[in-house]
Amino acid sequence: MLNEVFMPKLGMTMETGTIIQWFKNEGDPVKQGEVLLEVMTDKINIEVEAYHTGILLKKYYAEDSVVPVNLVIGYIGEASDQAPDAPPLVKGGEETEEGDKPTAAAEVPGGARQNAAVPEYGKPRATPAARKSARERGVELRSVPGSGENGRIHKADVENFASESGIRATPLARRVAEDRGVDLVSIAGSGERGKVLHADVEQAAVPAATAGAETAAAADRMIKLQGMRKIIATRMSQSAFTAPHVTITATVDMTNVQSLRAELLPEIEKQTGNRLSHTEIIVKAAAVCLGRHPSLNARWSGEAVVLQPDVNIGLAVAVKDGLLVPVIQRAQTLGLADLVRASKELAAKARDNRLKPEDFFGGTFTISNLGKYAVDSFNPIINQPEVAILGVGQIQDRPVVKDGQLAVAPVMTLNLSFDHRVIDGAPAAAFLTELKNVLEKPFQLLI
Amino acid sequence: MREITYLEAVREAMSQMMRENDDVFIMGEDIGVYGGAFGVTRGMIEEFGAERVRNTPISESGISGAAVGAALTGMRPILELQFSDFITIATDQIVNQAAKIRYMYGGKAKVPMVLRTPAGSGTGAAAQHSQSLEAWMTHIPGLKVIQPSTAYDAKGLLRAAIEDDNPVIFYEHKLLYRTKADVPEQPYSLPIGKADIKRQGKDVTVVATSIMVHKALEAAGQLKQDGIEAEVVDPRTLVPLDIETIAESVKKTGRLVVVHEAVKRGGYGAEIVSQVIESEAFDYLDAPIQRLGGLAVPIPYNPILEKSAVPQVEDIVRAVKATFK
Repeated sequence: MLNEVFMPKLGMTMETGTIIQWFKNEGDPVKQGEVLLEVMTDKINIEVEAYHTGILLKKYYAEDSVVPVNLVIGYIGEASDQAPDAPPLVKGGEETEEGDKPTAAAEVPGGARQNAAVPEYGKPRATPAARKSARERGVELRSVPGSGENGRIHKADVENFASESGIRATPLARRVAEDRGVDLVSIAGSGERGKVLHADVEQAAVPAATAGAETAAAADRMIKLQGMRKIIATRMSQSAFTAPHVTITATVDMTNVQSLRAELLPEIEKQTGNRLSHTEIIVKAAAVCLGRHPSLNARWSGEAVVLQPDVNIGLAVAVKDGLLVPVIQRAQTLGLADLVRASKELAAKARDNRLKPEDFFGGTFTISNLGKYAVDSFNPIINQPEVAILGVGQIQDRPVVKDGQLAVAPVMTLNLSFDHRVIDGAPAAAFLTELKNVLEKPFQLLI
Repeated sequence: MREITYLEAVREAMSQMMRENDDVFIMGEDIGVYGGAFGVTRGMIEEFGAERVRNTPISESGISGAAVGAALTGMRPILELQFSDFITIATDQIVNQAAKIRYMYGGKAKVPMVLRTPAGSGTGAAAQHSQSLEAWMTHIPGLKVIQPSTAYDAKGLLRAAIEDDNPVIFYEHKLLYRTKADVPEQPYSLPIGKADIKRQGKDVTVVATSIMVHKALEAAGQLKQDGIEAEVVDPRTLVPLDIETIAESVKKTGRLVVVHEAVKRGGYGAEIVSQVIESEAFDYLDAPIQRLGGLAVPIPYNPILEKSAVPQVEDIVRAVKATFK
């Protein structure tokens, strides 16, 4: 009895794993639970145990190989068993339930499953019309039950399947969404006629990065571009190279925000156990102003700008080796105490790596606050498919002119980057002006 | 409109052309007083005389060679081979002369001849008089190949063949000679290279040639009772082939059955299927293609075996249903 050894899927973002080390050679006896190999994922190195007892008959991939998750990387069986010379190209993990633990693949030959008379060449049995329809509808043929002979998938099967699932998405997007437990319904597709693309799922599922002004210390250490870093790299360059960015800045006198904060701080701390920070006040002010300037509270689909009814504000949070942008949902409905609760919880989850896919859903605007550093001003990169991002600099006492008199006041610079394909300078400037005014006279938040 | 037989339609097309154009004449074995093996030319010698309705020796090679020569010198000969099986004997003249000359002389010479010949089984004429060898001729560049299935098509396409400046192989079918259709009395020609949709349908495309058009139509009638609307497409001319019409139909129906009487192996159905797959109709195919043709056996003399050697109505019904599995 041959038992497959799979490249395990060890996390929601894991697409490939690198084999660091095999602890067994071909021909070695292996016990269930014994450590078989070490795998490097996006984030960690992990020892993979054998699921079966027997002899390691085959290792298909050498150390340092990068292997997609759920692919067969070896076989454990009895000495008399004959493992195939080449690894099967089919993912065994299609049948896994949670996607986090490989199970033995279904016994395939003989067409045990109607829609899986496939494996030899890794292709489902389908007519050309079914294939075309599946391509157009973004349906993954593999998941469509075939009604024809030998489970052959016909066009009508694809259509039925697509109308059941109801959403247009590319096969890759579907698979990634499935892997990560992201509900496709919640994703605004940026493809043709709203088709959900892989990038949209990434956007919803993961660590959106923002406004990276972080420059890594450039020593000679080579860091493989993978995992979160790879996603950040892809998304930042995509945004920077596709969206014509314009950044406008405004200086805000934070005197009144500081006194507001000082007054509310004890009350909010009593209610929530957390301290009110400037960030939450800026979020509140931004949410109010975005409600008045809906053109900035939008998502760009490649062909259309979709104005969003809710103000869902993403907060850039620095984590080890990267950045995450969890989203405060419906920020326009939240008071400062709720905002404190929400933002502190998201930040804690981000740092503990406990964020769930829903924590990244549906952002409409992002705020990146580098105020705790000695940064006055920077040009944030838009967190696509959003159309604008606010970069917040430090608050510092500066000379200002008040009523014709030189005075000292706590001053902060706001940087608004916007996508000039979608938004022109005047509306962006109007938004920033209003935001400045609201922050300088925060009682306006009550209006 | 007046109804005449396929045989009469062929005769009428020739007679009308001969009345209009003195360069047109016919020759063949026993086509004079006897009227040819199937009586197609009966009565023509009385109207046109022995010089324009010429009996020949029993030599298909000689007839076709003479036709090539006559055509080269400016005539428009129509030759009749008694049975299309004997095209084997005429093949050198057709393939190496008729089909080549216009090209090899850079267009300065032309061979406007028509070779008419009856093909097909069903008359109990056994293996040497029952074949459907049209695929051979379709393989030769320089020839046009026509296979009319109705009296109306026969008249219009034969006129077009005679008017054409290229050698045309005009396959008639023995069993179709007695079939009738409405045929206008006045002369008309049909375009060579234009398929005809003999029956509209939305569920499956049945491409059928020659006598199989009629069997396909009968099958379509039966299939209708099962709720299947078959579209029957008759290419009418194999070379040039109207693949656009066929592909368009396949795009509509998503299913394709191709049927001809000729032996399936190496038959023209394979060419039609290939062209469909090469066309954009590929993306619309929603079932494996079904291809029907004769068994790879010499046509038996025994009438029951003869029938079972070529596709019948029930075979077409079965093939169509197979596309819905």
